[in-house]
Amino acid sequence: MTHQRILANVSRDEFVGRDAELRAIVRQASQLVDRRGLIVLAAPGVGGGELLRQAYDQLFVRRGDPVPIHFAFKRSEEAPLDAARRFFQNLLQQYIAYRRVDPSLGDAQMSFHDLLELALPGDYELVSDLIEGFERERAGRDQRDLLQFCLSAPHRLAATGRRVFHLLDCTQLATPSKDENMLAQEVIASITRSDGPTAMAGLRRQLVELIQGPADGQDIGDLIHLERLSDDAARRLIEISTRRHQIETNEPTRDLIVQQMNASPFFINGLIQAARESKTSLTSFLNCQRLYVDELMGGLIDRHFSRIMDSVAPNPQTRKTLLRVLFESASTGAHKSSLWAWKKRLGVDAAEFERIVDALHVQELVNSSAAFIEVNADSYVWMDYLKAHYRVEVAGEGRALVVATTLLETLKRAPQAMARKYRREAALGLRDLLADFNCQRVPASLFHYDRFAALHKGEDPETVDAALDAESDLLRLPQVVYAAGCNAYTTSILCDSERCAVAHGFEAADYTDENEVVWLAVEIETKLEASKELTAEWCDRLAALARESGFERVRLWLVAPEGFSPEACELLNTLAAYGSSRQQVELLTARIESATKEEEESRPNEYEMVIPMAPDAELIAAHTVEQIARRVNFAPEAINQIKTALIEACINAAEHSLSPDRKIYQRFRVENDRLVVTVASRGVVPASLAGHNGEQADAKGEKEDSRRGWGLKLIQTLMDEVEFERVDDGTQLRMTKYFRK
Amino acid sequence: MADKTGETPVQARCIGDTAIIYASDYLNKLSGERIERECKRQLESGCRALVINFRDTELVNSIGVSILMGVIDASERNNARLIFSDVNGQTANLFELLGLTRHVSVARDETEALSLITPQTNAAGSTTTTT
Repeated sequence: MTHQRILANVSRDEFVGRDAELRAIVRQASQLVDRRGLIVLAAPGVGGGELLRQAYDQLFVRRGDPVPIHFAFKRSEEAPLDAARRFFQNLLQQYIAYRRVDPSLGDAQMSFHDLLELALPGDYELVSDLIEGFERERAGRDQRDLLQFCLSAPHRLAATGRRVFHLLDCTQLATPSKDENMLAQEVIASITRSDGPTAMAGLRRQLVELIQGPADGQDIGDLIHLERLSDDAARRLIEISTRRHQIETNEPTRDLIVQQMNASPFFINGLIQAARESKTSLTSFLNCQRLYVDELMGGLIDRHFSRIMDSVAPNPQTRKTLLRVLFESASTGAHKSSLWAWKKRLGVDAAEFERIVDALHVQELVNSSAAFIEVNADSYVWMDYLKAHYRVEVAGEGRALVVATTLLETLKRAPQAMARKYRREAALGLRDLLADFNCQRVPASLFHYDRFAALHKGEDPETVDAALDAESDLLRLPQVVYAAGCNAYTTSILCDSERCAVAHGFEAADYTDENEVVWLAVEIETKLEASKELTAEWCDRLAALARESGFERVRLWLVAPEGFSPEACELLNTLAAYGSSRQQVELLTARIESATKEEEESRPNEYEMVIPMAPDAELIAAHTVEQIARRVNFAPEAINQIKTALIEACINAAEHSLSPDRKIYQRFRVENDRLVVTVASRGVVPASLAGHNGEQADAKGEKEDSRRGWGLKLIQTLMDEVEFERVDDGTQLRMTKYFRK
Repeated sequence: MADKTGETPVQARCIGDTAIIYASDYLNKLSGERIERECKRQLESGCRALVINFRDTELVNSIGVSILMGVIDASERNNARLIFSDVNGQTANLFELLGLTRHVSVARDETEALSLITPQTNAAGSTTTTT
């Protein structure tokens, strides 16, 4: 299928990695019921504006019912009235272009007279009324009235039954003046009032505030988070774009460009355009870096950041000071300085200071918090710009020297950047693995290299897998609620973020202080079994990180590709730390993935039922589980045990939960060798439930109260495994009966 | 079958001063309380022995069992003999597990239960149905 390019800057095939987002926006146009908008929260430079333009082009060609209208705020300071007039004319022009199926009209230079002549007969009255209204307000000389009239156009269109899909691009509004900010809010409000489907894109640190304005907390619509392109998508973009422009590249240079440009389509396209203009092939690191430094010093990269800096700090002296403060903050180990120090050094009044910091924060050049400003050092491009321009503009170094040394440095850095990428790709991904921890039960030997080595070393993978399946010593993983690289916590551990991770969670998903735990995991680089000394060193580092961060209950987990020496294992056991080899981690990952997959897949052997908390309702559940148990050939005695256990679980749920909906939710799952029954109810979880149940076996002579509460004891006796699982509201009891045990 | 109050009647019959009470198919709170009430009524009317027959009982729950403890207490207070009969294997296991069998005799069937009770039992009994 060919795609006509109308507003889009790049052809559809060059717009890679955003298929799902594009589909979502196009689908939004067809929304008849949901009047909420679709909000695209974009990181800077990831193509939020292009996404809307691509969507417009698709909708124009699709010829659906709502007429797509695209409006983009300009980055240049445009007077509010001018912007409002542009908004009005744009609306009319794109409406007519769509109705006449003539995309060229959308951005042609046209007068109102031209528009009126081009309007279809069915639209003539509407267009004529709108233009007359506009002229009337303009003649009235009250600028506020004219502005209001322009902004009311969507509503007037909707009032005549015309369905319009507004695509509003706010991505260029990064450093709006107060007037621009207000205008943007009024445009958004006007579009929202028109009640049609909408899609808005803007910088993620700004758009929500623009939409909500002072009404914080209102429902702003469905969100699409537009993050950086994946490395694969960025590589594809380079391949397609360079092929189209007949620029030669090779795999290493494509990888280098992706790493250096942080996979930003904006910078990548800029570099390719520069290569095309200068007829430079991108087949060597030297060519790439030469072009890159050219762009940095006087090309697209320079223009991009200089424009931001100019709008953030229009005063030359302030801009110079800002460059100095930014560079010096970036040069510290943590890349940050106190807010107070920034304010003092910039020497501007409070309002101006706030504006500057806000603008830098919105562009993600810094991360500002209540106390600190941290320069975003993750972006090579921004760091290179900052350094080079500091040297030229602030330190007064000669341009030639700066160009030369920057080129030398980027060339020296290139292999490191690539090595970092390779290391990242080769890393086990401990952070992602930890993030998937969700109370799974896994063989404990996967966390004890000594045990694993003794049992499985030298065995073929199938045998190891089977042995792990049969392992009875299981470790229940915590539920991890947040995981991050350790460099987000400390700068004292020098290690790739992919290889050291911190994960916060709760044992048994029980949200209490006692069960809160932090896992600190690191992948050690060593070719042999990790020695006791190396293991001790890393344990000390992680313990220091825990102390520094105030973590109270921690679990250390060290991973060494080839495992640990016997002495190191002894040390780990002494410290109650875990140690795994790469093979163990891979086995663990496979088990967690398959458990997750299993959970996500539809389960043909799973039955669910909901019963009311009513007299004898538990019998219905008992009869159901009886039928299921019969089908999988449980012995009659076992069936009775399951039924009785289920009845007890239902009674417990009804008696203890103070359930608001008075319902008991049950799930019966037949697995390879077992039947798993879960019984859940909403409501409170009595703190003493476990103790209250099951302690009193012999009832005679006890008081009436203690005669009750035998339920859990019974269940534990009748079933093979019984476990209370924490759920968000209420409680869930999981009972397992093996086919043969 | 429900009576006028909507409750399922507890089947019971007396043989001399022994009352035989028949538990229903599901021993839960409600049916347990009915048995308890009937037992107490029989004791108050002069019965010296109680046999609770579980021939129809397929399922029991812990609340029902806990109510049987009240019956055991009441029997002891009245110096009356209490015997459970016709208990199926699963229910017997539960009684054992929860310690009931330490305080009450379990007979294989009604005949055995009656034979365990002292000879004051009349051979010919009258059957009554109560709620």
